[in-house]
Amino acid sequence: MDFNNMPVQRKLMAIILVVSGAVCLLVCATLLTYDYQTFRFNTRQGLTTLGQIIATNSTAALAFQNQDDAREILTALKAERHIVSAALYDGQGRLFAKYPISRPDSSFPAHPDVDGYGFADVHLVGYEPVVIEGRRLGTLYLESDMQALYGRLRVYAGLLAVLIVLCFTLAFALSSVLQRGISRPILALAETAGIVSRGDYSVRAIKMGGGEAGLLTDAFNHMLEEIQKLNEELEQRVVKRTSQLQAVNKELEAFSYSVSHDLRAPLRHIDGFAQLLQRHLDPSLDDTGRRYLATIADSAKRLGRLIDELLVFSRMGRAEIRHSLVPLGPMVAGVVRDLLPETADRQIDWAIRDLPSVYGDPAMLRQVWTNLLSNAVKYSRRRTVARIEIAHRPDPADGHVFSIRDNGAGFDMQYVDKLFGVFQRLHNAAEFEGTGIGLANVQRIVLRHGGRVWAEGRPDEGATFYFTVPDSGPPVDHPAESLLAVSS
Amino acid sequence: MAVLRPAPRRPLRLQLRRIGWRLAGLGILCAAGARDLPAEGAPAGEYQIKAVFVYNFAHFVQWPPAALPAGAAPLVIGVLGTDPFGPYLDEAVRGEKIDGHPLAVQRFRRIEDVRDCQILFISQSENDRLDRILADLKGRSILTVSEAAGFGDRGGMIGLVTVDHKVRLKINVGAARAATLTISSKLLRPAEIVTTGKD
Repeated sequence: MDFNNMPVQRKLMAIILVVSGAVCLLVCATLLTYDYQTFRFNTRQGLTTLGQIIATNSTAALAFQNQDDAREILTALKAERHIVSAALYDGQGRLFAKYPISRPDSSFPAHPDVDGYGFADVHLVGYEPVVIEGRRLGTLYLESDMQALYGRLRVYAGLLAVLIVLCFTLAFALSSVLQRGISRPILALAETAGIVSRGDYSVRAIKMGGGEAGLLTDAFNHMLEEIQKLNEELEQRVVKRTSQLQAVNKELEAFSYSVSHDLRAPLRHIDGFAQLLQRHLDPSLDDTGRRYLATIADSAKRLGRLIDELLVFSRMGRAEIRHSLVPLGPMVAGVVRDLLPETADRQIDWAIRDLPSVYGDPAMLRQVWTNLLSNAVKYSRRRTVARIEIAHRPDPADGHVFSIRDNGAGFDMQYVDKLFGVFQRLHNAAEFEGTGIGLANVQRIVLRHGGRVWAEGRPDEGATFYFTVPDSGPPVDHPAESLLAVSS
Repeated sequence: MAVLRPAPRRPLRLQLRRIGWRLAGLGILCAAGARDLPAEGAPAGEYQIKAVFVYNFAHFVQWPPAALPAGAAPLVIGVLGTDPFGPYLDEAVRGEKIDGHPLAVQRFRRIEDVRDCQILFISQSENDRLDRILADLKGRSILTVSEAAGFGDRGGMIGLVTVDHKVRLKINVGAARAATLTISSKLLRPAEIVTTGKD
């Protein structure tokens, strides 16, 4: 397991165990080494002392060449278990006496080596000069096995192994208790943070003791309090603002609705009485008077249309979307048919591709098509042969993308942002009549269906309008409030 | 006794010492070989060994201070009667020292000639006069050594006896003590102890 990803409890335990294990091993290794060296030294010292004693005792035996005596002296080494063999060499370096007697001469060094003691293989070997008053009589050879040393080392190693196991057990037991002091506050904090991250700011971390963990807990709790306070304030503010906004919006809609309604009645009067006046005065009216009256009637009609569209626009914002599967082919064919009165005396080349069925409100979608197609018809009026293409392509992100291309007046792309605003017009009314509400309505409906709308165009080269309808079944109704922000 | 130290671990010196040691051994062997010629009909090497023995006694015997020569005067090994050693005794003591005293060999014809002397080897030639000689030496701190049979038993101190071609010692501790000489217990180990009047 990666150390960095370990839980804090395990991390602490691991650190404590590794550190105590390392210290324990180091101490044990040091002790073992020290003891090994000390014991080697002591063994050597012991053998040296023994060698000196035996050598001193052997002087007469060598001086008077008494092998029996020499053998007897060496045989006393029986008491020293670790002496494997011993021998006396005379002044000429010849083997003079040996111990044990049963050992063959060939197993002893043929000649004494340089005086001194040293470790050879698994044995400690020593050559002690037999000297009397500075005169060398011969050499004592001693060979000690290292059983004592290895036996001692074995016992030592066993003890150390037990010690290490005990050390580890103790470290484990102690650390599992002691690490809680550090890990518990951190775990409690982590748990609280987990709950907080799920959106509940009311919980508080439980403080366990002082120190940095305590400080951290306090700071964390303080922070939570601040967040909770801010959050509550924010929520309250949002609720307040939303209700304010809703009220204002409702007021505004009620106002515009009633205004539109109330405006229609006097307008109808103006229109009606202008016609009555014309009929009544017709014989006595001159051309100028007749033109004035026609202008009054026209203006009244235009205002009436404007009011109608405003009503539709405000209705589109409020009306519920009634979803159903709408076959767009027949719908578009119907809209084109409805436009016949305006297009009868014109040459229009319609290019309509196969269109799919989509989920949406049939009345609203019809409004979209009506607006976009009547725009295309209207702005291509100046062309001798107008060409209007209606196309569709599926899109993985947007679902269905529809496009309506015309070869009409087009527009400058730098004003593209104004295209879908209410009462925003790129052409003046004298050139192309219009209320400036149609495209705003289109955008409102498309957005409420979860789609988007945009346009491309160049002055005098035509325009292409695009809108999308999501493919994924009946979409959720997007409330009018959110649309206000987008369209404003 | 010399102070013993572990051999220094210097490879060159070690090698030299080893070679020196071997050369010394070779020289001794050659010398011994040269002296193996029979001397005065005595068995080959016997007196060479005995000469070394006589010299070695000096190491294991303590004389009262008054009996030792003053200052750096030599410690004298006397040979009474016909000298059986030839050159061996002189060779054995050459260059050696006991407690700071060099060693000297003196030969005496008669017991009356014996003056300052610490060890006296009494030759077989004096066997007939042995009792008189020993009586004469009584009270003097002189270590008496002889090959004569029953030497110790007759009041001598160290007898050299040849058994199975080996030289063995017979020591009369009482006689030595009477002469205020102290014989080291180490010397007694390889020796046979005898007392005056018994053999």
